Amino acid sequence: MLRKLALRMILVGLPVASAACGGAAVPQETLTAAQASVKGAEVGGANEDPKAQLHLKLANEQIDKAKKLIEDGDNEEAARVIDRAQADADLALALAQQAKALRDAKEADESLGKLKRKLSQ
Amino acid sequence: MSQGSTPLMSRITTSLLALALVGVAACGATLPPPELVDARKAYDHASKGLAAQLAPAQLDTAKQALDKAEKSFEDHGVDQPTPDLAYIAERKAELAEATAGKAAAERDAEGADKKFKNAQLEGLDKTTAELNKERQNSEKTKAELEQEKKALDQEKAARVEAEKRAASAMASLQEIAKVKEEARGMVITLSGSVLFATAKYELLPIARDKLDEVAKALIDQGFKSIIVEGHTDSRGKASDNDTLSLRRADSVRSYLVSRGIPSDKITSQGLGSSRPVADNGTADGRANNRRVEIVVSPIK
Repeated sequence: MLRKLALRMILVGLPVASAACGGAAVPQETLTAAQASVKGAEVGGANEDPKAQLHLKLANEQIDKAKKLIEDGDNEEAARVIDRAQADADLALALAQQAKALRDAKEADESLGKLKRKLSQ
Repeated sequence: MSQGSTPLMSRITTSLLALALVGVAACGATLPPPELVDARKAYDHASKGLAAQLAPAQLDTAKQALDKAEKSFEDHGVDQPTPDLAYIAERKAELAEATAGKAAAERDAEGADKKFKNAQLEGLDKTTAELNKERQNSEKTKAELEQEKKALDQEKAARVEAEKRAASAMASLQEIAKVKEEARGMVITLSGSVLFATAKYELLPIARDKLDEVAKALIDQGFKSIIVEGHTDSRGKASDNDTLSLRRADSVRSYLVSRGIPSDKITSQGLGSSRPVADNGTADGRANNRRVEIVVSPIK
């Protein structure tokens, strides 16, 4: 009796579970957006700053992982991984921009110093 | 069936309840996943830094992401999606900090650029001022040079004029007296008979006219110093001759001083008969020896 109940539960549960997994839509839109953000970070100079480069690498790895999960039909997990990739890509760009701004500020400061030295001669 | 299953169901229910209680107990004691710990730290760091002021929107987004992760932790414990949400929250906090860092650096750069431009303007002003000063100096120098040139021209003209006057003075001197160049200077010899009566030392009226000419010529020509020498012939006592020659020299000197020759530049001496220029044995010779010599040292 119990075994029958358990069997029924398994028979009913399996399709439900598989529907839950396969039911989530392919997160194509977020994947495309994350890929675009990765490109944006690359163009924004993420490869020129070590910390930004690290997050760019993480974003790329997670995009690859997400693609594999989509292939395997695990769209839900893929969606979460894509969100992580997006966060890393955004951070990579922000870090690259910060690094560039710091370089510019240093350069401006150096130029000012040179000019002051020149004028005081 | 219902009767038979009742003890079993009751046991299952009890087991489930126990399991649930254990679960709840476990949940209450569950430590947050490392991602959430990191996210909290990152947000804490960002919110205490420049982000609150320079990247408030990004900081707010990070807060919302952290809240979402915290809620997930409450609902799901350490299981997904908590670690993923915390992972995202940590990055958003870091992003807020990076955005603030960028804004601060841009602000610094802008400040430095502004100072650079101001310094450039100051430098330009300084250079302009220096150039103006140099121009003024060069104008001044030009004016000074022109003045110097004018002065030189005037001096040259004056010299030419003086030379002309000197030549003319010499010519007029030569008309009234014997003039010759010697090592001691220009010697103007005036005959004693023209200047004085015999044995006298007061100037004759005609002598005054001649000495006027001499004084004029000397002033025109210019000189360094003048010595008036009185000479006699050898007749009579030498001491008398010395006295007479000195008095005559003094008379000439005084007269020349009265005609404008500076007294500190003219001296007189009586040489008596000590320096004859002709034979004292003849009347002509003695006449030549009775004389006054004006020795002029020229300006060098």
